[in-house]
Amino acid sequence: MIEQNRLLRTLLTAADSPTEMRVQENTGRKVILLSGSLVGNSSNNSKGVSARVFKNGYWGFSAGSALDPKSVRAVLRAANKNANFLADSLPAKDASLAPVSAASYLFNKPIPNSTPKEFIDFAKEFDDYVEKACPKLTSRTIVVTADSMEKLLCTSFGTLSHSVMPRIYLYLIMSADASDGSTIELFDVITGGYGYFGDYFTKQDSMEKCKAAADSLYEELMQKAQGIFPDAGVADVILDSTLAGMLAHEAVGHTVEADLVLGGSVAGHNLGKQVASEMVNLVDFANDTPYGLAPLPVYVDDEGVKAKDAWLIKDGILTGFMNNRETAAHFDMEPYGNARAYSFGDEPLIRMRNTAILPGKDKLEDMIASIDNGYYLTRTGNGQADTTGEFMFGINMGYEIKNGKLARPLRDTTISGVAFDMLKTVTMLSDNITWESSGFCGKKQPMPVGLGGPAVKCKVNIGGR
Amino acid sequence: MKDLKELSVEILDLLKQEGADDAMVTLSSGSMTEFNVDGGDLSLLRTLFNDSVAMMAIKDKKKGVISVNSFEADDVKNAVKNCIEAANSAIEDEALAISELTENEDFLTGITKFDREKLLYRIKEYMDDVARDYPKIIIEQLIVSYGMSERCVANTNGVCYTQQSGYYSLYSMFSAHEGENGTSFNGISFDFYDLDTPLIEINRQREDYERAEKELYAKAIDGKFVGKVLASPDMFAEFVGTALDNFISDSVIIDGTSPWREKLNTKVASEKLSVRCIPTDERMIGASLIHSDGYKNEDFDFIRDGVLKSFDLSLYASNRTGLERVKATSSCIEIDGGETPLDELIKSIDKGIFICRFSGGAPASNGDISGVAKNSFMIENGEITHALTETMISGNLEEMINNIVELSKENFCDGSSVLPYALIDGVTISGK
Repeated sequence: MIEQNRLLRTLLTAADSPTEMRVQENTGRKVILLSGSLVGNSSNNSKGVSARVFKNGYWGFSAGSALDPKSVRAVLRAANKNANFLADSLPAKDASLAPVSAASYLFNKPIPNSTPKEFIDFAKEFDDYVEKACPKLTSRTIVVTADSMEKLLCTSFGTLSHSVMPRIYLYLIMSADASDGSTIELFDVITGGYGYFGDYFTKQDSMEKCKAAADSLYEELMQKAQGIFPDAGVADVILDSTLAGMLAHEAVGHTVEADLVLGGSVAGHNLGKQVASEMVNLVDFANDTPYGLAPLPVYVDDEGVKAKDAWLIKDGILTGFMNNRETAAHFDMEPYGNARAYSFGDEPLIRMRNTAILPGKDKLEDMIASIDNGYYLTRTGNGQADTTGEFMFGINMGYEIKNGKLARPLRDTTISGVAFDMLKTVTMLSDNITWESSGFCGKKQPMPVGLGGPAVKCKVNIGGR
Repeated sequence: MKDLKELSVEILDLLKQEGADDAMVTLSSGSMTEFNVDGGDLSLLRTLFNDSVAMMAIKDKKKGVISVNSFEADDVKNAVKNCIEAANSAIEDEALAISELTENEDFLTGITKFDREKLLYRIKEYMDDVARDYPKIIIEQLIVSYGMSERCVANTNGVCYTQQSGYYSLYSMFSAHEGENGTSFNGISFDFYDLDTPLIEINRQREDYERAEKELYAKAIDGKFVGKVLASPDMFAEFVGTALDNFISDSVIIDGTSPWREKLNTKVASEKLSVRCIPTDERMIGASLIHSDGYKNEDFDFIRDGVLKSFDLSLYASNRTGLERVKATSSCIEIDGGETPLDELIKSIDKGIFICRFSGGAPASNGDISGVAKNSFMIENGEITHALTETMISGNLEEMINNIVELSKENFCDGSSVLPYALIDGVTISGK
């Protein structure tokens, strides 16, 4: 892919308006075993080139799958035509782009290949173990899934970036009968993260670690089989560190995306105001963090901007938004590299990268001990946000807390709240951080994102039955 | 543009030459032109040209699937090789099969040319109409597009269906604002064939924008009660669709975890509920007429008078279970209305809520759901009193479709479904 940069740079020397061109290839492979049967064995590849041109405040964008020089030139022409069409048909718009310097990033590691056989063999061996070790399951599903985005980006202001973002994960989904005869379910990412098959699946202890994780998940499922439904209403809770990232992403992150601020998000009225307890700090990390490499590092975004950390909440005060170059100019802020596109045919949108609540100083045991009557919520399935800051997460596992001790396990439920109200109720943060990166954020386009945080003591609304 | 039928024959031949016993290909080629409005301003014109090939090979009772977005000979040959490699690595399964030849057909739906200038005119008019008639509304994002595509589904049994289709689509995400007060976001989406009508007049958008303005100054409910929920047509379709996904789709029927596994032709819902899949209905815009397993899509009943008439099974799941495959792979749904006008349904509610959007987690296997009632209103003593915030509902999907009190006489078609309002009892509603 990198060899295409000469053509792109040559074409961009003639650009009379801000222009970016991107060659991109997305690949994926997925294997699914349903109770031992291979019901999924697929791979996909999607590649192409795009161009985006800014004229009189309007963007023209075009993309096509052919990568020969003639087709690449045609894509650039089409993007210019689209920009001209809007610029000629509509009044000139008072919009500009924040000035930025050219950035440079070249991915320099070999990209290894893996085969469907490797995926299937690992999944099958793991499935054989789960079948034997977890006898009370009524159903088990094992998914090995990998995806990768490789991008070559050139801009008219001189950025050249060649980036690769590979991910691979193994999921285990277990079902069993509950004590009332209904079916209950739990799932988890057993192994995986940023990287390739060899990084997680071929090490000497890879399978042993997966087996231990399966044992642990099975034990939790058996506890859940005896679970109760929580009482509906506002409750004192500890959100486990595995949930805090969802809080950072859904409850706060979306409301401070500058395009949503322009659309009327609640954050617009709260910049510079206290929106959370003073102990809350929230950052959208670009790549390196105080806790190691972010789960999905971004070095240059798809507008050609060098990626930096975006501080969103500092000591409880809302300090910034996530921007693209256009919204950064509008709000007179600096763009930190949040403009990202999912596939070759997609335009960059303002997206999160690795959004996290920063850890505090408390120990989880002390946090649990501090609650007389409440819940410790340990697993989430999904979350949704609103521009009002109202959020909800599905909760798949948790426990009652009675007199400072864990009590009965919980069945599936949902929690909800209003972010800037709920964050003011935070009174303790654990001293560790847990990252998660297996999901996709949805916003016109999907996007791999990282999210993280510590265990959080707060008040939320919990659904019952 | 390359002839998709010819290309399908070439690819199927290649798969056979590489050792496939059976094979299927799905080819598509198309273009899309899209206008974007962000934060209330027209911002972007985007065009996309894309080809795609999805191929499936069965070799020695083992399956491989691959998709690429290129018709180039080298890319296709490489994909064929990888598809066979995937099949060679797979696990034997007697249930794998491709569709049998019946009667091939070529379909043409919608419009194959579009008018870019007039579309832009209609979009500007739409923005002006919303700004003038609904001054509290901010359109956070508006995407209006025209897409044209040709699709071919063919297999080594001689099956070959094609469909050319073209249509416009509109998606609007919006909320109402007054000072620092704002509402939850609302969404409207629909497909349409022509630009003869101002876009704001298509379907019931005016009701949606009007309702959004009334959502300002929402209040939370105190405490918790079990009561009636009046679901908007889209909301009701989501409840029913989620229940069907949860109880009659491939995985839960194959592994036997569905509570409806043995309930074909028995009562699973209120006798007031009839759910029909209608891909061939003329009112459906942009509907696929080709089944993803390589058949012609047909209309059929999922549920008739409360009785389960069909599972939603692929050909593979059908062979695994011995149950009939689904007659269409389509989301075009018609739910029969009832006898009571909407106004009377509202008057009949002593205490309950009118729910238009549900933000909740994935349902549990048994159908338990809980989540936040969005874009929703309190109903007391037969009247809608105020908009709601921070209000959760919880219930069980199976119980909810059995607890249908009444469906509205009004039954609305939006081009992708035909749906009534539904009054459902026994739902737990909780506030702060």
